[in-house]
Order: sequence, then structure tokens, then C-alpha cells
Amino acid sequence: MVRQKVLLIKVGELKDLFRKLFVVILFLTAFLFIMLSRFDSVAIEALNKVVIKVTGPVMQVVELPARVIHHVWTYFYDISHIYAENQLLRDENKQMMILQNKVRTLEVENQLLSRLLNYVPPAEASFMSAQVVAESGDKFTHLLLIYVGNEAVKKGQIVMGDESVIGRIDTVSPPYAKVILITDINSKIPVVVERTRVRGILSGNNKDLPQLIFMRSTTDVQEGDIVVTSGVGGMFPAGLPIGFIGSINGNRVEVEPMADLSRVEYVRIVDYGLAPDAELSVDFVESEQNAR
Amino acid sequence: MRDNWRENLKLFAVHRIPLIATLMMVFLFFMPINSVQINYFRPVVGIICVYYWSLTRGYIFGFFSAFLVGLIIDIYSSLPVGVNVMIMMLLVWTTDWLRKYFSMSSFGVNWLAFAIICTAFLLLKWAFLSLYFHHLLPLAGSGLGLLSTVMFYPLIAYINALIARKFLPQERIDE
Repeated sequence: MVRQKVLLIKVGELKDLFRKLFVVILFLTAFLFIMLSRFDSVAIEALNKVVIKVTGPVMQVVELPARVIHHVWTYFYDISHIYAENQLLRDENKQMMILQNKVRTLEVENQLLSRLLNYVPPAEASFMSAQVVAESGDKFTHLLLIYVGNEAVKKGQIVMGDESVIGRIDTVSPPYAKVILITDINSKIPVVVERTRVRGILSGNNKDLPQLIFMRSTTDVQEGDIVVTSGVGGMFPAGLPIGFIGSINGNRVEVEPMADLSRVEYVRIVDYGLAPDAELSVDFVESEQNAR
Repeated sequence: MRDNWRENLKLFAVHRIPLIATLMMVFLFFMPINSVQINYFRPVVGIICVYYWSLTRGYIFGFFSAFLVGLIIDIYSSLPVGVNVMIMMLLVWTTDWLRKYFSMSSFGVNWLAFAIICTAFLLLKWAFLSLYFHHLLPLAGSGLGLLSTVMFYPLIAYINALIARKFLPQERIDE
């Protein structure tokens, strides 16, 4: 009888020891994850893919009732504003018709001039639309999770809102993909100020307005100037609009994105047939950094 | 023997309810809202659930559950994987220690304790991330998030209490 009691105590102690050991292992694993996130993106990317693949469908099902309510609300809201919107669209349509004529003339002129110069035009862009499934629930990141199905989406591809660049594809784990927004701290995009051709890097800082860094001069920049992609680094084609110069304080130049990043419901993933290699752009940013 | 096996399986499933409820709420709060104002007020629901369950049902919501919740949040937020895992496990460790002082106290006291702990842990997370990125991250937006997290605590705690009352046994039963 006494012997059994001793044995029970020992088993209990052993269990307690194993429990403590398990907790230590969990803390060590968390620490290992942080280290891997910093130095080995391949392993973490694989982990990302597995987790999103397993939990993505669950997330969509959980969100379904809230999404239905949101759609019903939007539907009735749109109906109540339909008359005013119709008037606005009529006016816009008139302006578009005038612009269309101008574009047609310019296109013919462009073709003639291109033929004269033996100019080889860049590849035509193809794009696909995707629905935003989730937003970052964290104040320290700016990203979207989109549903891409089984389409051939690649890491580094450009993601656009209605008319301007809003980010790039970060991770693809079909049927989902993560989009890093231009305001995220991990976002670095080579850009150029359209009016003066001053180059720089548009760097996210987790605030609403990303910053222009590594600019050779801020004197040639004015508030309201349009910022477009420069195409340097090979990841983004040149000339895609991103935003306007919002404010200039000495060397600190902030850019106001053209798209309202808080109201993105659908995005366009653009494929320009360029080699969408994220590393290229990162290399460019690093080389710019070293050059300073 | 067979009944015993079934009972254990049922108990195992019941004991996973807090984790499942937490994950469901975390997923729900990742939903796109399309409003910049509401986005600033989006509460950190994971921290509320981990605090609630580890305080009230620590024997079924421990370090491993916190590990999974943190991992999911890290991956969906694109934060460095491991940061929220560490934060959530440290939260469980803290509530484990606090349980002897707060387990029998009123809801108001628990809420106040949560407000203090939540502030401390959001600052800790900010420090972790600033250290990780070698750059002091802006804290301004987090203030509103913290406020909404503390304000949302009664609602989330109430939902969790309902789940506990409906699905979990009142007494502790070991698997």
C-alpha cells in the first residue's frame, strides 16, 4: 500500500516535469521562429503556406454571416445613392467621350512615330481580379489576404486598386495570397517624381503616408507632384501611378497614396511579363543604401 | 473499456472548445471592414480571449493553445512569426501567476487588471517589433486599438462566458 503511494507521487512529479519541459520547448520554438523570420524566409514561407492553406477556408466560413450583412447594407446604401451617382456618371461619361477621341488620335500618332524610330513596345499587361478576404488585424502591419483561386499568381507581382499601385504579392499559398501594402514597413518600391524625374524609394513606415527616401534632392519636388514607379530593379514596370507628394519637411517627403487603402474590396493583380523577382528590387534598394 | 475511451474522446473535444472559440473570434476580427475609422478601433481580440480563458479555465487553455493562437495571428498579420506566439505565451504565464489573486475577484477588478496587462503587453509587442526592425515603430495608432481592446473586453468575455456555461463542465475533469 505504502509502495503504491510512493509510485503515484513519482508519476505525478514526472508528469509535472514533462509539462514544464514542454513549456520550455514551446518558448524555445517561439524564439526559433523569430530567428527564422529574420534569417531564413524559406522555412517561414513554407510554414505560412501550410497554415493559410489549412485555416483559410475556415476563416471564409466564419466571416460569411458578417459578409452577407455587409453586402445587404452596401446594397441598400447604393440604392439610396443611385440617382446622384447616375448624374455623376453621365457627366463623367461626356468627359470620357472627349478623352477617348483624343486618345484615339494620340494612339495613331504614337504608332506612326514608333514605326519611324523602330521602337519595340513593352509587353501588354494582363490582369486578374481578386477579392479581399481579410485585412491585417494588427496595428503594426499593413496587408491584405486575397482569394486568387488556382490562378498562376507569383510572388512580387504588382497589385493595383482602381487606378494605382497599392502593393505587391508577398506570399502565395493557393487559393490565397498575401499582399503587402505600400504603407507596410516591409514595402520598398523604386519610384520617380513624374514632373522632375527625381528618383527615390517609396518606403512604407506603418503610417498612412509612406515616405520617399534616398532622394538625390528634395528641391525639385513640390506638394501635389505625381509619384510613379521608376521600373528600376525590374520588379515593377515604369510609369504606374502610386500617389501624390503630400508634404515636404526638409528631407522628409511623404507621399499620399492615390487609392484609399482602407477601402479596398477588390484588387487587380497585374502581370507585365516581367521577371517578378522580389530579390531584384531588394538588391536595388540595398545598392542605393550602400551608395549613400 | 470502450465507454471509457469514448468518454475520454468527448472530454478531449470539449476541452478544445476555448481554443476553437478563440480562433473563430480571431478570424472574425480579421474581416475587411472598409472603413479607416473602424480600422483604427479594431480590437486585438486574441489577447482578450487568451487572457479570459487562461484566467478562468487555465487547466484547458494553457501554453500550447496560446502558442497556436499566436501563430495564427502572426501569420495572418504578416508579423515576424514568433512575436505574437511569445506574447501570448507570456500572457498565459502572467495570468497563471495572477490567478491566485484574481480568480475570485469581481468582474470590475478583472477588467481593470486586463486593462493594465493589455497595455503592458501591447508595449512589449511594440518593443519586440521595434527591436526586430531596428526602428522605433509608430505607437500613435496603437493607442486607439488599445482603447477599443479594453472597451471590447466585457462583450468578448460575456460571449466566452456563455460558451463556457453552455459547453464546458463546471468542475475540473482531467482527461
